[in-house]
Amino acid sequence: MPRLRATAASFRHQAAMFWAEPQWIIPNIIAPFVLAMVVLMLYQEPSPEAVLYAVLGGGMMGMWGNTLYASGFSIQSDRWWGTVDAIFSAPSPLIWIIGGRTIWNALVGIVNGLFVLVAAMVIFQTPLEVADFWLFMLAFVLTLLSLATLGMLFSAAFVLTRSAQVLTNGLEFPIYVGTGSMFPIFLLPYWSHPLSYSLAPTWGIDAIRYAALPAYADGFSVGYWGDILYLAILSVLYLTVSIWLYKAVDHRARKTANLMRY
Amino acid sequence: MSENVSNPLRVFWSSAVLAKRALFAWLNPAMWIMQLFGMSLFQIAFFVYVAKFVNNSEVSMEFVAIGNALQSLAYVSVFAVCNITGEEKNQGTIENLLVSPANRFSVFVGRAAFQIVNGLATVTIAFLYAALIFNVDFSQANYLGLATVILVTTFAMTGFGLMLSSLGLFLRTSMIVANIFLFIGLLLCGVNFPVSFLPGYLQPFSYAIPMTYGTEAARMAVQGASLGELSGLLGMEALVGFIVMIAGYLMFRGFEYLARSKGTLDRF
Repeated sequence: MPRLRATAASFRHQAAMFWAEPQWIIPNIIAPFVLAMVVLMLYQEPSPEAVLYAVLGGGMMGMWGNTLYASGFSIQSDRWWGTVDAIFSAPSPLIWIIGGRTIWNALVGIVNGLFVLVAAMVIFQTPLEVADFWLFMLAFVLTLLSLATLGMLFSAAFVLTRSAQVLTNGLEFPIYVGTGSMFPIFLLPYWSHPLSYSLAPTWGIDAIRYAALPAYADGFSVGYWGDILYLAILSVLYLTVSIWLYKAVDHRARKTANLMRY
Repeated sequence: MSENVSNPLRVFWSSAVLAKRALFAWLNPAMWIMQLFGMSLFQIAFFVYVAKFVNNSEVSMEFVAIGNALQSLAYVSVFAVCNITGEEKNQGTIENLLVSPANRFSVFVGRAAFQIVNGLATVTIAFLYAALIFNVDFSQANYLGLATVILVTTFAMTGFGLMLSSLGLFLRTSMIVANIFLFIGLLLCGVNFPVSFLPGYLQPFSYAIPMTYGTEAARMAVQGASLGELSGLLGMEALVGFIVMIAGYLMFRGFEYLARSKGTLDRF
């Protein structure tokens, strides 16, 4: 229970930080929104399916942008504010504190994703008609959770470096490319496919397309439920590794005593 | 001492040296090299694969690769330069800087000087990727013309970044503006598709950003256009770059006045 209380307090704290400066949502929205627009402009006269394909990718990118920046700055901000050693010396393990922050960021990620979807629908005057609403929502939420676990994995690694900000900026496009957010991954070089398959959001976006597009022809052969299965397995794997990594990072940070260096 | 402060060139140089030292005080050089080599690669890859998927006959992969190779400059000349004032605020040095008698223009252009070098390196690497990985044909290229395009675009876009940076004096953060203009160029500047694809009301905005002229000139240079053929576009780009730099200076003074009168200078 004390651990859950730490998570709840961390969640409330993250929410308060967000409401103190809500304009920070803009950077996470602008990139996926512009990228989706670029894709639609490339089509010139996009079909409703093309619009849906692009905005679904934009929605996923919106969620990833938020998760990435939230995890990248999760500990870096504490470094700047001088609160990181207080967090590490608290009796609650770090993973429960980061967990509360991650849950809040995931909720904001939903807002990001939906904003990109709705804005593109309004601009291109295409109604959001998905083939199966409930399967779509399931895939959407699970993809978000998978992104959150991936973000936790990265945030654990970011604790060790003073350059989290640079890494955060650098990881945005690789995930967009690797997950095939805007194009099927079979267009990528064959050697890169295992890397794409190791990313849970790759399966998530495929499941989203299966649920949303009535005649989706480029999907993986495992189908919707196969996508969901791989998504779940990879997400659990990310979570397990990040829990282990946080313990290792905590141990190392205490040993080297350079946590506050920035 | 006062002679040093009133000498604009000396102020420019010391500001440039200090900015480079400050950057590497927090940024690991290995990380900087990773950023230099990694950012443009994935940006070009993303749009090249999108173009391949969309398969619009009017937009070749070569068109997209060259556009994004030049636009990769924005990470440096728009994003990093725009954040100059915001970073001074974060470090708590903006007040000291503004109460000094040193010439403002020299101080802030000096702060951006290292980013010009950084930008030239970024774009050069991006064009190497375009040639070696994305198979852009450089057999007819006018290398001198292309180098001139890169040089003029880097200077002009740094001027554009400095103009945006002035907003950071008044706003709580310049990071938001930097993020918006980092990506908006991908849509407005003819990077991924011709400007003519945009609705008519958006096209004037495209031509108010120097990058638009740069992308067109870069494609012409790769196709072998001579310096004479490029001169019109390069002249327009230099002119727009000069105008935004002057506008940036005037905005800087205006926002400095506003920030002083409203007491928002150290708000971040």
